[in-house]
Amino acid sequence: MRTKTIAASFIVAVFMILAVNPALAHFGAIIPSDDIVTQDDDKTLDVQVKFIHPMEMHYMEMAKPKQFGVLHDGKKTDLLGTLAAAKGKSPDQDQSFTFWTTDYQIRRPGDYTFYVAPDPYWEPAEDLFIVHYTKVCVNAFGLEQGWDQHVGLETEIIPFTRPYGLWTGNLFTGQVLLKGKPVPFAEVEIEYLNETPGNINIVLPPADPYVTQVVKADVNGVFSYAMPKAGWWGFSALNEAEWTLTHEGQEKGVEIGAVYWVRTRDMK
Amino acid sequence: MKYVNCLLVVLFVVLSASGPALAHKVNLFAYAQGGTIFTESYFPDGRAVEGGKVLVYDRNDTLLLEGVTDTQGLFDFEIPEVDDLKIVIDAGMGHKNSFTLKKAEVEAGK
Repeated sequence: MRTKTIAASFIVAVFMILAVNPALAHFGAIIPSDDIVTQDDDKTLDVQVKFIHPMEMHYMEMAKPKQFGVLHDGKKTDLLGTLAAAKGKSPDQDQSFTFWTTDYQIRRPGDYTFYVAPDPYWEPAEDLFIVHYTKVCVNAFGLEQGWDQHVGLETEIIPFTRPYGLWTGNLFTGQVLLKGKPVPFAEVEIEYLNETPGNINIVLPPADPYVTQVVKADVNGVFSYAMPKAGWWGFSALNEAEWTLTHEGQEKGVEIGAVYWVRTRDMK
Repeated sequence: MKYVNCLLVVLFVVLSASGPALAHKVNLFAYAQGGTIFTESYFPDGRAVEGGKVLVYDRNDTLLLEGVTDTQGLFDFEIPEVDDLKIVIDAGMGHKNSFTLKKAEVEAGK
């Protein structure tokens, strides 16, 4: 009896540790209400900017970004002033966290790449700051031009696959750049956004390695991943910045991520 | 028979030569500003539709006017009437598409 109780307590303890400390990957996210705008669609996009664990649907507190804008027809437009704070949480979070949102009016044909440079996020569990430079592309009125242009962020993913009109199962290929140069053998983390609008089958990972997929880029910083479910997918390539930041008087490292989001739809 | 084969080959080559364009849908985008409606016609990769026929209809499908796109794929005209306007681009060879400019958008661009 006593052994059983101890064993049971041990199992409970293991579960508690797992619950508190799963292999969580942080992702910067920009999720627009639509990724392909046609003449019949609402031309006003609701664009949400978040810092999340996409698979677990957890939100993290996000300070107002340093930079937020859109690249269209070779021109960048600053949209930082249009951001409004909002609150969100996963079903199992007992507290809400800040994310950012804006309404953006699509006026012209072509590709719109939204990008964000967030305020550094202090992560005590990893003893470092996190800065995820995040992008997403929206196509408008049938002009498929602009999606492969560089925004010029400190680090960014350049899509080699046109990043919209993707079927479930399609391969997404991209290149990881750091200061404009390819990152050989960059590690790329991939997660499914369980919070994808219309996702009725929430993915429950059978084991931790299923939460975050990991692929490595080739010598040219080029990586690929086939997306097995309809919805939004985040790709995050992580590097350590050459610069540091101070936390409570101590120099701390900064993880800089290049994040890109794409949406897939089922073929039917 | 040989003559027919030869003709088929010629036909195939001619069709293949225009192949890339066949894979591309033609598009028209329009907006109203300062009393004028501006249209732009283009292929998905950004190439302009040159010499494409533009036809403008009202909500009752009555043809109001027509014109031809210039080398940049552009064609503009004065607002013919404040209504839902269906603007058709016909680039030939089955390349056809339309864009509806809503009455409210025409009104706003008067």
